[in-house]
This record gives sequence, structure tokens and C-alpha cells, in this order.
Amino acid sequence: MAEIDNYHAVLLQLLLVIGLAATMLGLSVLVGRAGRRNAIKDSAYECGMLPIGDSQPRFSVKFYLVAMLFVLFDIEVVFMYPWAVVFRDLVAQNAMVFWGMLSFVGILTVAYVYALKKGALRWDN
Amino acid sequence: MPAYFLEIAIVLLGLGLLMVDAFATTLDRRLLGHLGIAGVAAVLAGLVFGVDSSASEPLWGFYATDTAALFYKGLALVCTLLVLVLALEYAPVLESYRDGRPGRRGLGEFLCLPLFLCAGLMWMASMTDLLGLFVALETVTITFYVVVAYMRRNLGSLEAGVKYLILGALSTGFLLYGLAWLFGLTGQTNLAAIQTVLVDWKGDTTPLLFTMALLMVGLSFKVGAAPFQFWIPDVYQGAPTPITAFLSVGSKAAGFIVLIRLLEPLLASPIRHAVLLMLGVLAGATLIVGNLAAISQSNFKRLLAYSSIAHAGFLLMALAAGQPAGGVSPNGVVALYLGTYLVMTMLAFAVLVIVRKAGGSDELTAFNGLSQRSPFLAFALVLAMASLAGVPLTAGFFGKFFSLVLIAGAGQWALLTVAVVAAACGFYYYFKVIRCMYWNDPVSEAPPLVFSQLTRVAIILLCVAVVVLGVYPKPLTCLLAP
Amino acid sequence: MGTLNGYLLVSGLLFTIGLTGVMVRRNIIIIFMCLELMLSAANLTLVAFSRFGLVNGLPNHHGQLLVFFTITVAAAEVAVGLAIIVALYRAKQTVHVEDLKSLGG
Repeated sequence: MAEIDNYHAVLLQLLLVIGLAATMLGLSVLVGRAGRRNAIKDSAYECGMLPIGDSQPRFSVKFYLVAMLFVLFDIEVVFMYPWAVVFRDLVAQNAMVFWGMLSFVGILTVAYVYALKKGALRWDN
Repeated sequence: MPAYFLEIAIVLLGLGLLMVDAFATTLDRRLLGHLGIAGVAAVLAGLVFGVDSSASEPLWGFYATDTAALFYKGLALVCTLLVLVLALEYAPVLESYRDGRPGRRGLGEFLCLPLFLCAGLMWMASMTDLLGLFVALETVTITFYVVVAYMRRNLGSLEAGVKYLILGALSTGFLLYGLAWLFGLTGQTNLAAIQTVLVDWKGDTTPLLFTMALLMVGLSFKVGAAPFQFWIPDVYQGAPTPITAFLSVGSKAAGFIVLIRLLEPLLASPIRHAVLLMLGVLAGATLIVGNLAAISQSNFKRLLAYSSIAHAGFLLMALAAGQPAGGVSPNGVVALYLGTYLVMTMLAFAVLVIVRKAGGSDELTAFNGLSQRSPFLAFALVLAMASLAGVPLTAGFFGKFFSLVLIAGAGQWALLTVAVVAAACGFYYYFKVIRCMYWNDPVSEAPPLVFSQLTRVAIILLCVAVVVLGVYPKPLTCLLAP
Repeated sequence: MGTLNGYLLVSGLLFTIGLTGVMVRRNIIIIFMCLELMLSAANLTLVAFSRFGLVNGLPNHHGQLLVFFTITVAAAEVAVGLAIIVALYRAKQTVHVEDLKSLGG
């Protein structure tokens, strides 16, 4: 197809970038001694003291909670975009398209208010 | 009133109760349950008296309001109503497995979630489009994940939640991949349009068979058909008991609604014989696995889990017949079977909830001497067990009888033999429970069995329904006509 | 732009990789990722069928609609699923399937 030809430059760029990164990483492992790992190097650095605890600190469950809420509310935009594209044409025939989206957003609002009231977005406790 | 107002009403009820739960912090959460029960009862009344089937025009042909759809809506509503009653009864056990101050342990949310489940089930009953069917099914499944794992300080509940999550998502994967292929082969998502394409399918049938296999695997997980039944006992055992009741009726009904809708175009296509053969094999395997594994169970919840697998076998057998016989149609028998199954299963779970609350155990030994501790509950459980076994003059008889009639009419003698043997096995393990209640002595310090008047009324009504439907099944037989 | 068969092959491979992952891996989080891979495979199938099954010269929009809904359903499933897995980890300090054995008859 014709339009695919326009993307040759992008493909070339992509190959170059990946190739360059791979070469640099590969060379540093092959040539440099700095890349060699050992137990001391892999341990967490804590002001010359013996490391305490894990090198991967556990985070608070709050992070997961916010991330989950973000995923849920974020994904809803997927419906608003196509809706916005056809809105002008459809609303001329029937206001249903407007009320439909309003009820959808209304349900989301109820969910948001519920999360807020239950303290899911409070950080200080 | 168009039928889809009912779903809207249930969703609004659920959202409203959630808001009450969020804002009225000092309110007794039980009130939410009572409000929910009243609301669901009102919607049920609306379904019975106020639905105008011809008024659903604006939904552009993806929303059916035939008798079956309305029946399954009613089934979902009755089921939700009973689950809410059981949930109120179960509340002390639930709260003992949650963190937080008394009265703020998430009981409100637990009482709202069944309403969203109900809305999903009702919506699914009417869907005639792959998209709507899939979204409704997932609404139900995802809400079930939440409520199964609800008792956060109980390892059993969490493990059941994780198992249900993984196997439920796996079945969703299979189902969706199958739906994608069904769409790809026909270019349509409306089931009626798919049927017109499949009826004059002239090409190779291999892709059709592949699609059918994917859909069957996905739905076998959902309805709990062997060899995809292994998650059922664990999930049923771990989940809060009212939710187990909902799972065994609602989730099974959901699976069968989708199965029936998807089978319609497939049975009209050139691969009809392969579909029926596969259903027959699934039915046979499910009957054998469910009944044989149930015999050795000592935990009442696991016993009911295997019993629900066994019943799925009878339901699949009715569908495997593929043609009406003796004046009854396969889809009608499935509807009647699910209706009677709801009544008897709910009755069994209602007694279990009360015994669990008093004794702290789901084991069969907790039922020892129940006839002395509470003759009323023991009698109710006898009715439920007799009906689940399929004793004549109880509700459970007709479902089994008609599915045997269908399979005999289709001339599948091997499957008929398996089913008769399976039904006979059923008598053994259901009567094991009755033996516990009447022949074994209770533990000496058995605590008294307390339950609310609401639960008493529900149990009495269910007992009456079991007997009445067993003697006079007229209210349900209107579904049977081919 | 490849052929329909190419896309179906890739989506079939994705589905198989996901399914294999669910069967052989023991970490629940990874199993969950494999499950999402299976859903993505189905999405790719839908988009491919939609793009190549032209209706009046335009891609068949029914399939693409289904994809939108699938993505949302998958997101909801991830949110609920991760919440359950985090709850399990907090209660039990493990996310391995072998450690799930408190149920049984």
C-alpha cells in the first residue's frame, strides 16, 4: 500500500535507535570491566554501613490503591473520544446521545464520590 | 413500562444505597439490606405486573423481551432478594472476618454489590448481541470476584477469590477469543444476523469447529462442566455462604443463558452434529464427576458444590438432546430446571447459614442431631435434600424428569443410562445429610440456633414453593412449549 | 500492511503464549499478566477481522466497538484482580500458587 511508504523513515529511525542502544550496551559488557557484577556491588549503598533490609523497598498499599483508581477512571475516556467525534451529527437527530453520556459520567461521579468518602484518596492515615 | 426500566431501577437502587453507605456514617448497615430487599421486591412487582414487552423499541434490536428473557430477569431478582436476606443473617460472621471498628466493616458495600450482580444478570437475559452479552457476563463475573474474596481476614475467602479470579479470567479469555472468531467468520455481532450467515455456510467447517470449541471451553468453565469444574468446590467452600448460594444459582444461570443464546446460531449451522456431540460428552463427564466426587464429601458446602456440578450435568444433557420431545423444548427444560434449582438450593443454603452462624463450621458434623435442636430447620433441609435428589412430589423431580424425557426422545441411550445411574448416586449423598440430622446425636454443648423473622418467612416460603412446584408445576410449565 | 492470516497467526501465538504462561508459571502476578495477554490476543483478532472485513469500503465497526468494551473490561478485571492479590499478599506474605492450600475436603 502507498501510505506505508511514508513510514519507511520511522522504521529506519527505530532500527537505528535500537541498534545503537544494543551496540553500546553490548560493547560495554564486552570491553569494559565496569559492567561485571558482584554481591557487594549489587547491595544497596547506605553510607558505608552494612545494608539493612531489602534493596527493593516495599511500598505502601496506598500506591496500589491510587494506581487502581487511576486505571479505572482513565480507561473511561476510551468511550468519550468516539462519542465526541460523532456527537455533533447525532445530537442533531436525537438528544439521547447526550443523556446517554451524561448518565455514564453520572455513574462515574457516584463512584468517585464513594471513593472520596471512604478515604481511598487520603494519604495522611 | 419497557423492560429495560427494571435494570435501570436496580442500578439506581444500588448506587443510591452506596451513597447512603458513604454519607450516613452512623446508620445501622442492616437498614441498607432492608432497603435493598424492599427495592428488589418493588422491581419484582414491576416485572410481574407492569412490563410492556412491545415498548423496548429504542434499543435497536439488541434487547429481547421474550418469555425466556423475562423469566430469567425474574429468576435474577428472586435470587438477589434471597441472597440479601441470607446476607443479613450472615452479617455477624462476615464482620468477624473484617478489620475496622464494629459497624464500619464493609457490611454496607457487601449488601449493595448483589444489586449490581442482579443488574448484570437481568441485562444478560435480554441481550441478543455479542457485545452486550460479553459486557453483561463480565459485569457479573467481576462483581463476583469482589464478593467471593470479601472476608479479608479469612484465608479461605481470599484463596477462593484468587482461584476464582484466575480461572474466571481464563474462561473469559477463551470466550472472548471465541467471540472474536465468531465475529470474524460472520462479520456480525448480532446473534440473529450471525444465524442468517451460518445457516447457509458453504465453506470449510474447520474454522467454525475451532470457534465452537473455544466458546465451549469458555462456557464450560462458567457453568462448571467437567473437565473444567475443578475450581468449583474450592471457590464454593471459601466464599461467604450467601455468595456461594448466589454463585451456585446466579453464576450457573448466567452461564446457561449465554450458552443458550450462542447455541442457537451454532445449532442452525452445518456443524450441528459436532455441537450436540460435544454437549453430550460434556454432559456425561459432568454427571459422572459431579455425582461420584460428591459421595465422599464431609463438608456440606463442598457437597453442595459437587451437587451443583451434577445439576449442571443434567442441564447440559437437556441441551444435548437438541430437539423437542414429548411436548417440551430443551431451552424450556433448562429454564424450568433453573427455576426449581433456585428454590431448593436457596433453601439448603439458608439452613446452612443459620447452622454456620451458631456452630462456626460448615462440616456435616455440625448438622448432627439438628432434628432435636430445631425440628423446623431439619424439616426444611429434608425438603431441600429430597428435592435436590429429585424425589417425586418435590420441585426437583420435574427438571430431572423432563431432561430424561428429552434425551430419551433424542435416542441417546448411553447418556440416558449415565444420567439414571447419576440420579441414583444422588440419593445416597443427599440422604447422608438427612441421616446426620435424624440419626446422629448433637454435640452436648451445641449453641442455640437463632435467626430473624425475615429469614423464617423466607424459609417457610421456600418450603412451600418446593412442595407446591412438586405437586402443581403449572406456573413454570408455560416455559416448556417448543 | 500484512495479510489477514499474518495477523491471525500473531494473535494465535499471543493467545498460546498467554495460555502456556497460565499453565506453567507459579507466580500469581505473572499468571495474571498472561491472562491479560490472552485478552489482548482476542483484541488483535477482532481488530484484524474488522480491518480486513470491509463493509462498504470501510472497516467493520462492530468489531472495533467490541474492542473498546474489552479494553474497559480488562482494566476493571486488573483493578479488582490486583486488589485481591494485594489482599492475599498482606494476609499470607506469598503470591505463589503452591501456597494456596487452606481449602479442601
